[in-house]
Amino acid sequence: MLDPRARARFARNRSAVAGATIVGVLVTFALVGPLLARHDPFESDFAAGISRDLLPVGPGKAFPLGADRLFRDVLARLAYAGRLSLAIAVAATLLATAIGAVTGIVAGYYEGRRVRVPWAASAGAAAALAALAMGRPLVALLSILAGTLCALVRRSPAIALDLDGILMRFVDVLLAFPFLLLVMSIGAALQHTSAVTIFVTLGATGWLGIARVLRAKTLQVRSLEYVVASRALGQSTPSLLRKHILPNIAGPLVVSATVLVAQMIVADSVLSYLGAGIAPPTPTWGRMLFEGQDYVIAAPWLVAAPGTAILLAVWGFNMLGEGLRDALDPHDG
Amino acid sequence: MRSIPTMGELSPALSAVALALVAGPLACGQPLAAPLAAAHPADAAPVRGGTLRMASYTDVRNLDPAGPSDGLAQQVAHEIFAGLVEYDARGHVVPDLADHFDAEDGGRTYRFVLRQGVRMQDGEELTADDVKRSVERALHPSAPSTLASYFADIAGYEDFVSNKAAHLSGVVVEGRYVVTFHLGHPDAAFLSLLTMTTLRPVCRTAGDRYVDTWLPCGAGPFRILPGGWSRGNALRLVRHEGYFRPGLPYLDAIEWTFNQPLLSQRFRFEDGDLDVLQSPTQADTARFQADPRWKAFGIVQADTIVWGESMNTRIPPFDNVEVRRAVAAAIDRSQYSLIRPANMSPLTELLPRSVPGYDPSLEGQRYDYAAALEHMKRAGYPYDPTTGAGGWPQPIDYVVTDYSVSVMTSQLLQQMLAKIGLRLSLRLVSWPAYQAITQQPGRSAMSAQGWTMDYLDPSTFFEPLFTTGSIGSESTNNTAFYSNPRYDALVANARLTEHTAARYALYREANGIVCDEAPWAFTYGQHDFDVHQPYVRGLAVHPVERLLAREIWLDRGVGSRVHALFGGLW
Repeated sequence: MLDPRARARFARNRSAVAGATIVGVLVTFALVGPLLARHDPFESDFAAGISRDLLPVGPGKAFPLGADRLFRDVLARLAYAGRLSLAIAVAATLLATAIGAVTGIVAGYYEGRRVRVPWAASAGAAAALAALAMGRPLVALLSILAGTLCALVRRSPAIALDLDGILMRFVDVLLAFPFLLLVMSIGAALQHTSAVTIFVTLGATGWLGIARVLRAKTLQVRSLEYVVASRALGQSTPSLLRKHILPNIAGPLVVSATVLVAQMIVADSVLSYLGAGIAPPTPTWGRMLFEGQDYVIAAPWLVAAPGTAILLAVWGFNMLGEGLRDALDPHDG
Repeated sequence: MRSIPTMGELSPALSAVALALVAGPLACGQPLAAPLAAAHPADAAPVRGGTLRMASYTDVRNLDPAGPSDGLAQQVAHEIFAGLVEYDARGHVVPDLADHFDAEDGGRTYRFVLRQGVRMQDGEELTADDVKRSVERALHPSAPSTLASYFADIAGYEDFVSNKAAHLSGVVVEGRYVVTFHLGHPDAAFLSLLTMTTLRPVCRTAGDRYVDTWLPCGAGPFRILPGGWSRGNALRLVRHEGYFRPGLPYLDAIEWTFNQPLLSQRFRFEDGDLDVLQSPTQADTARFQADPRWKAFGIVQADTIVWGESMNTRIPPFDNVEVRRAVAAAIDRSQYSLIRPANMSPLTELLPRSVPGYDPSLEGQRYDYAAALEHMKRAGYPYDPTTGAGGWPQPIDYVVTDYSVSVMTSQLLQQMLAKIGLRLSLRLVSWPAYQAITQQPGRSAMSAQGWTMDYLDPSTFFEPLFTTGSIGSESTNNTAFYSNPRYDALVANARLTEHTAARYALYREANGIVCDEAPWAFTYGQHDFDVHQPYVRGLAVHPVERLLAREIWLDRGVGSRVHALFGGLW
């Protein structure tokens, strides 16, 4: 993905290397930690996990990061939670990036032009909007897929739409809601929360910024002389997108996605902290932080461990994202 | 991109978190702040004035005696509304708004003669008509009270609640200051029932029927002024100047802050910004109790709350009594109490230790893992702990309120029941959702349940929690939907029995039935711990009420005054 010059710029950037290292360590910890931990993250230990004053034991030989309020190993739970928190953040980012990229590229490419869209696809999009308004992101996704499939399988009448105007106004409306408030509202509306519902919720609400960035970049690439020439020579839209647009926006896409992972980690932690995340006993960093907050004085390791993990993850992904941006586009920022 | 901070924007925030993470461990070794001394010796005479400041982790939703209530609302309502009778410090029922009362007709009639000249908080004089109107308002089917069925023994109750009669015939006004309650049959607990806030007289502004918008107004020592209650945030009660007990209350006002995290409460208390700290965390409770400077100012409340795991007897697998017995035997109650050892005591029966009728000799439910496996086998779901094979095949939905200690106990329960082949799926919900789900039939298989003593009598536990009659069509406190004619008969007979020892013997037998058939697996009794600053005087342990503010007075020394003025700046 990185050409040699970009790779060299990345390697020279100490902040970027530090970010990549932190992310690498965290991912390794999440993958290997649960396998190496001496305790089951779900099992209380009423023999070794409890101190003489009947509080959870602090960091020591038996429990390197101490025990939690149910006398479970904080290290084992932290690693297990890391696996879940990072997986949710990455999956949500992939989903958000996919939605944001499609929206941004379509809006940017068709800016200033009316496009004939099959009725089936329009109906699918409208149904998806209604489903989102009712807090059903999965139904929204299915509606879009169904509409697209119907339009592809069977030719239906089309209407001329200002796709860029419609998509960007929709983005504007959603941008008016604070991101975390929007996520929390959807999270609270869901009766049962699982890793899947959370990543879909985060992914379905976190794509707006990426759509904006990629629209701007697509507009810029679309106006380049060789792209205009290719179009004039009769190159098809899919071919133009594949050969010229996508390669030119790959850099900003990767940078945006990397930084978005950090935002997703925070959002997932906030959801869990507020009780709208995955139900216990499954640990998440946000939930561990919440469960330890009343004991911050008596048992500070209960908040220090997940707090540090969140801090490092957000810091690492942000530094990595900024490093990638500097490496891929030295003139920007 | 929106909402994604750049490194420059992020650094201060991250630095703050990092600082907090470093400061946390450093703060670990900090001792508790010193108590703020009183100005006068312990035997000094009370003085008037001052505001008592408290906080709560929860909120007050309703203060109307005719509305739904919970623990904190009860505490506040006791300050606003006075009743015909109340408990004294030894737990005896004594007249309050009543000057005196008589029981006649073998306990079927109670005649109350009111004090004359009692002023309600709207300035009107209390009369017998007000008592009757308040009773009818609270028991009318349009009122959302969950405790109305306690008073079903009042003559004419059925006709009144089914709208066949416009008035409650069993409550008769016999003069401006005389009101009589006629009961369908003798009721040994009736006077105790009247100590609750449900039937306490309300001002005429309340009208004849319950309305949501009414500003609570009664004859108690404190009143709410318009604007004094910011829902979800704070409540301020001020002295009722016309209170009928001369010289009382001493305080000018009481203030509560709601939805305040426990840690913030503790810091505010140490800082002199709160005068009383109620139910601190386990860690803080242990520190206050261990610190010789604070020991004299801590109050361990009576053990009057029962907790258990409620199993819906209408939903599989808990429609099988052997599965319920297996659950009761699989719970190691000593491990539960380790979550909050300062507030929890292992409990193997329905009655907590401080409730009259508690019988330590009752065997109750005991932890016996081998017996639990045997019960599962008898139920038809044998479980092999070595292979993990067998047990109940589906996950069991378990409902628990978020932000409560039950979130912790439920995780422990999950571990314990997994060892006998029952797999719980925890569902965290808000308090209103929890009530809606657990109090309606067929909506939850299992839930964490607690019940606080409403009055000083065993019937406050036996009747609402397990009798067939307490199962309503819309909602119920019998969350196990348990029905046993033998149990119902015992509990009904106990209410009719005047002789205390005979009554307790009946309740003991009923207790044995619910311990054996296990609609609940009883887990622990709860005793709260409160601590106050030395300058808060007149706080005493009461067998029922957690805090009686009318006797409290403030004796602030110079240090506490400076704290009150400058708070955190000091």
